[in-house]
Amino acid sequence: MTSVRVISTSTAPDARADALIAAFERAGYARVAPAILQPAEPFLDLSGEDIRKRMYLTSDPQGRELCLRPDLTIPVSCDYLASPAAGKPRGFCYLGPVFRHRGESGGEFLQAGIESFGRDDTAAADAEMLALGLNATAHYGLAAPAIRMGDVGLFSALVAALDLAPAWKRRLIKDFNHKSSLAHDLDRLTVGASNARPEYQGVLAALAGADPKGAHALVTDLLSIAGITAVGGRSVSEIADHFLEQAALGAQASLPRQSRALIEQFLAIAGDPESAAAKLTAFAREANIALKPALELFESRIRHLAGRGIELRRIHFSTAFGRGLDYYTGFVFELHDPRAQTDGPLVAGGRYDELLKRLGSAHAISAVGFSVWIERLAAARGAP
Amino acid sequence: MSAPLVIAVPAKGRLQANAEAFFARAGLELVKPRGARDYRGTIADLPGIEVAYLSAAEIVDLLAQGAVHLGITGEDLVREKIPDVERRVVLVEGLGFGHANVAVAVPQAWIDVHSMADLDDVAIAFRLKHERKMRVATKYVNLTRDFFSRHGVTDYRIVESSGATEAAPAAGTAELIVDITTTGATLAANALKVIDDGVILRSQANLVAARAASWGRAERAIARGVFDRIAAQARARAFREVRSRFARCDASLISEAKQRFGVETPFGGATSSGMLTLHCPPKHVHELATLLRERGAETVVVADLGYVFSSADSLYAKLEAVLERPR
Repeated sequence: MTSVRVISTSTAPDARADALIAAFERAGYARVAPAILQPAEPFLDLSGEDIRKRMYLTSDPQGRELCLRPDLTIPVSCDYLASPAAGKPRGFCYLGPVFRHRGESGGEFLQAGIESFGRDDTAAADAEMLALGLNATAHYGLAAPAIRMGDVGLFSALVAALDLAPAWKRRLIKDFNHKSSLAHDLDRLTVGASNARPEYQGVLAALAGADPKGAHALVTDLLSIAGITAVGGRSVSEIADHFLEQAALGAQASLPRQSRALIEQFLAIAGDPESAAAKLTAFAREANIALKPALELFESRIRHLAGRGIELRRIHFSTAFGRGLDYYTGFVFELHDPRAQTDGPLVAGGRYDELLKRLGSAHAISAVGFSVWIERLAAARGAP
Repeated sequence: MSAPLVIAVPAKGRLQANAEAFFARAGLELVKPRGARDYRGTIADLPGIEVAYLSAAEIVDLLAQGAVHLGITGEDLVREKIPDVERRVVLVEGLGFGHANVAVAVPQAWIDVHSMADLDDVAIAFRLKHERKMRVATKYVNLTRDFFSRHGVTDYRIVESSGATEAAPAAGTAELIVDITTTGATLAANALKVIDDGVILRSQANLVAARAASWGRAERAIARGVFDRIAAQARARAFREVRSRFARCDASLISEAKQRFGVETPFGGATSSGMLTLHCPPKHVHELATLLRERGAETVVVADLGYVFSSADSLYAKLEAVLERPR
């Protein structure tokens, strides 16, 4: 007879995790415990199909896809939206397991975190998240983690201000969200390689100079002659619009040089937040680009961070820092073990003002939060 | 035989007929001792082998688990169904039948989409306009995800489809599809077109070996015998034997023949009496015969080959290289 081995201790909260969540509650965040079994749809829709291979998927007898929650941000947001408090300022904290395939290692991890909804004081709320994240590492004896910070809103403002075709703007925003560093990819960035198709070149060039309404009508009519109404969920008008957009781009399949230079200049701005703010101001003035609201928010956030006693010099800010999820819209941050003994961040979060709308809210609701990887923190602290 | 080598072969249709023909060419006759409806067979005159007739999907599962040693199945299924393909199986050899492309296809009406870059652009615009992502109907969930990810396409959702995938866009259950196509006729009939750089995989039937199967000395010896015949036959089919005798044959002529026609010299250069044996790809046989006569050969004899056994057994070496030492 062999002895029974208890195998479920890996995600049993320890005393420190309990103390951490108690601190979050004292800070005014109500503890919630969303269901472990969740509909898979929102995760796949918001995080992209790539997350599917890391999810534990199952289905119910009606054939609906369910999953073991791979994170808590979406479940906490859904529960808040379904509650009578939806739309009102509310803050929540959580501690519990999340589930992700991780090759040979186990698939169950403990996550703690905070989600804050409906606050108007954007800069103050952003700063509070970073301060609470630092509290979390301090609870595990790590007083000075490496702080990485970014601001997706600054890049969005830059792209909005650039004189570029809509196709380029969409592409740049998407690629920024999906790459840790867009700078390396600017070379390969092209829109609609088919613009170079010789058989269409002449027609496209002719259309490019045409009156937009007339051109649209022509393409729509041509498609109608072919007996095409709506195929694959795209209307004829939509296809015509995009076809003409390609025409407008002309043979220029790669990013215009001047815009590219500006983007590269912008993405090179990094350092501590105060010097970065000075560089951004100078950049906006020299390039004659209106970054004002985004830049003001950035500066206001810096003041709030300083007000919370966070040493600004310890923060490494980079304009190129994105969190690889397209639901972040503004402030993003990660806390790392300075000795880099663990893979991935110990704490990670940011602002996601569009998420609740994409989850079905009729109105935009501001949202900011972060999650804490408990096992990583315990390992980082335990390292000599 | 207590631990026979198990070879899984498709149980139905053209794939089964092609698989049987493939083994037969290598001199391996699949027989069903208990009648045609039996799902277990053997190979005539080669003991120690069990042939299991299974569905294509089962073959892939059993290869991944190591429950069979060898199997014949499409590369598309292997790459779709087995995570970490390289760690679990060895794709030993493409067999030259069961050709099909796994490809991204969109409605022909999408005159604004020719490349994956166009598709990416349309996918982003579609999400912004419709507040949902474009749907891709496919049974190749993993191949699709990896391919789209390589092309930086992220604004899409996969709708799993088990049959009649090509009808999904017209039925309104998806905007585009990823499916297999051989001639493109089915796609065209459904008003779909393949994107220029949208071919994910050019698939064909493969001889596949399971790394996790029990590969004892006995199984290896049998597999080696099977592979030896397959390799010898494959080589024989790829060449014609060209023989001649003429005194003026020299090294420079042989090297010219090698360079121009891909000729091989199974027994080295010409003998002292000027006897020369060359192996030449079939399409260059006549050119080679012309060259040899120009240089002084009177008679050139060309013959088909039955088998070409070589001590350099590349097919088996491919398997042996990844297996652990025999237990």
